[in-house]
Amino acid sequence: MLHDVKEDYVRSIKKYTSSYHENHFRSLASKDFNGWPNPLEEKWRLSRLGALSRIKMLPIKPDLKKVSDSNKKLGSYILKFIDGAFREDLSSELPTGISLKELNEKESLEFFHKIKESDLNNHPSTNVSLSCTPSIIKLTVNKDTNVKELIEIFYEGGHQNFSVHPVLYVELKENSNLSLIENFNHFTSLVMPLQLTEIQEKGSLKSIKIFDDNDDTYNLSAHCALLSKEATFNSFSLVKGGIFTRSETHAYLNGTNAKLNLNGVYISGKKQHHDLTTAIYHDVPDCTSKQIVRGVLGGFSSGVFQGKVRVAPDAQKTDGQQMSKAILVSKNANANAKPELEIYADDVVCAHGATVGELDDDQLFYLNSRGIPENKARQMLIQAFLKDIINDSVDGQYHDYIFNEAQSSLSSILNEEK
Amino acid sequence: MSLLEIKNAHLKLDNKEILKGVSLSVNKGEVHAIMGPNGSGKSTLSYMLAGREGYELETGEILLEGNPLNEMSADERARSGLFLAFQYPVELPGVGGMSFLREAVNSRRKFLGEEEFDHLGFVKEARKEASKMFVKDEMLKRAVNVGFSGGEKKRFEILQMAMLKPKVSILDETDSGLDVDALKIVSEGVNAQRNKENAIVVITHYQRLLDYIVPDFVHILSDGAIIKSGGPELALEVEKNGYAGLINAA
Repeated sequence: MLHDVKEDYVRSIKKYTSSYHENHFRSLASKDFNGWPNPLEEKWRLSRLGALSRIKMLPIKPDLKKVSDSNKKLGSYILKFIDGAFREDLSSELPTGISLKELNEKESLEFFHKIKESDLNNHPSTNVSLSCTPSIIKLTVNKDTNVKELIEIFYEGGHQNFSVHPVLYVELKENSNLSLIENFNHFTSLVMPLQLTEIQEKGSLKSIKIFDDNDDTYNLSAHCALLSKEATFNSFSLVKGGIFTRSETHAYLNGTNAKLNLNGVYISGKKQHHDLTTAIYHDVPDCTSKQIVRGVLGGFSSGVFQGKVRVAPDAQKTDGQQMSKAILVSKNANANAKPELEIYADDVVCAHGATVGELDDDQLFYLNSRGIPENKARQMLIQAFLKDIINDSVDGQYHDYIFNEAQSSLSSILNEEK
Repeated sequence: MSLLEIKNAHLKLDNKEILKGVSLSVNKGEVHAIMGPNGSGKSTLSYMLAGREGYELETGEILLEGNPLNEMSADERARSGLFLAFQYPVELPGVGGMSFLREAVNSRRKFLGEEEFDHLGFVKEARKEASKMFVKDEMLKRAVNVGFSGGEKKRFEILQMAMLKPKVSILDETDSGLDVDALKIVSEGVNAQRNKENAIVVITHYQRLLDYIVPDFVHILSDGAIIKSGGPELALEVEKNGYAGLINAA
């Protein structure tokens, strides 16, 4: 008889949540998870979870004694989540003006409703991670606080045949600033990070995410960002690890003159599948959103960029730009781009473009004709392809670090093609 | 032994024969000019020599110092000492001029068994050469050829030539897009590199360039073959009578 592991996982979620009798939000969330999205659903058509649904898995019970050897690389302060649980014992004490807490039942329920009001309401990570997270952690930056130091978050841990569920809530109060870098380095079958970011009036958040999980890890990240009046959110994602990584971000521009940059790079090789999916909702006038996505694909990998921009009827003077480019360095790799513009206002500037192609023959020949060997020439052109987006998206002092992170993956992809 | 020898080169592009038996022998210390009307196969000849993919010979042979080039890739030919100055230098957005030059020069030096430049050593060397070609420091910091004027692009080509120290340089329509002043600077840059050990092949439409880079030999390429060879006076004849007269006479 065929053993239906898919049903098993759904049952295990319900069972898991029943162990938390007092947490109403968990049982609510678990009710909404009835299995993995069907590939007939448009949102999941290009990133199918068939193989994931066949993996026998259980939600992890965090091992609070587990240690990790990761060290801060860039940040002045570090926060660690292992097996999805926040580990105060391994994290830094934060500077004044920033606080960190575990949400109580009432606050968790409010958090639940905020996420459920967004278009991420039925994302599997929303329902499963809210059901199974050890706790929802909230990072708050106080009003008028300018945090000069970078805060670095590590998400690690996990185990084969287990899923991991870190949930983070970041709130920037009025007129505050924060820079975050988040590293995803799990060793697990599945990780489902869930994040809500709220940026209040004139708040400004710079965020870098590096998705670099283990070779056979699935990462289904779901991130909801809410921007108030004159808020700024600069987000850059580098997706390079895992067998399947989908970083899905939904941003709501709810206050006038809010500014959003949602950029990303994916570097894929072997049989990796990388997906950057975004949805930007311009609900009020005078907001700006810019998206630049670049992908480099080798081996038998596949890449997806899906970007939706919706401009509500009242959102006049919206400026929404979107550009995605993918370069295939292998004949067996493929890339899909699906820009979607839904514009209901008439006085807006919106543009999008998407290209998928190979390296330019004239440029390669020019480099070769100067004695630069083929492989080096390809590397130089791809580096150049990524350099300007990294320079545009990331603060100067982190360029080299991010570039080197990208570079290490690029080299292995190009070596595969030799 | 000739420095560069082309023997009976035949080449087809899209099944059309473009080079129909070109033969040319270039010795050390010589400057040859290849002149010809549009469509005579000049650019094809330069791509073929530089080893561009798709421009492989059907029959015939190319030898650099007696070594066959036919089977060598473009980068191997360049490292062996062949240089092509492009008619239309290619823009490389995101590739910095200085690092591009260093990569190229070090590839060649490695091949020659010479020590590779470190970053600082190279910057010093590049600045020295660049100033001779009126290439400003600021240009080396920019992406290769991006936003360069026509003159700047050609000066940057000749700067590359100066730094790579090739045995044979092929200058493909280096005069195109240059005003008189720029033409003078570029030509002076080329002339400064003429010596007894290397050779230069100038490919051009017009005699004008040859006032500045005076050739030892002039060849007329027409319909994929060299139909006439002579001294510098042949270029003047082209200037006076056009190509038609020469082609008809042949």
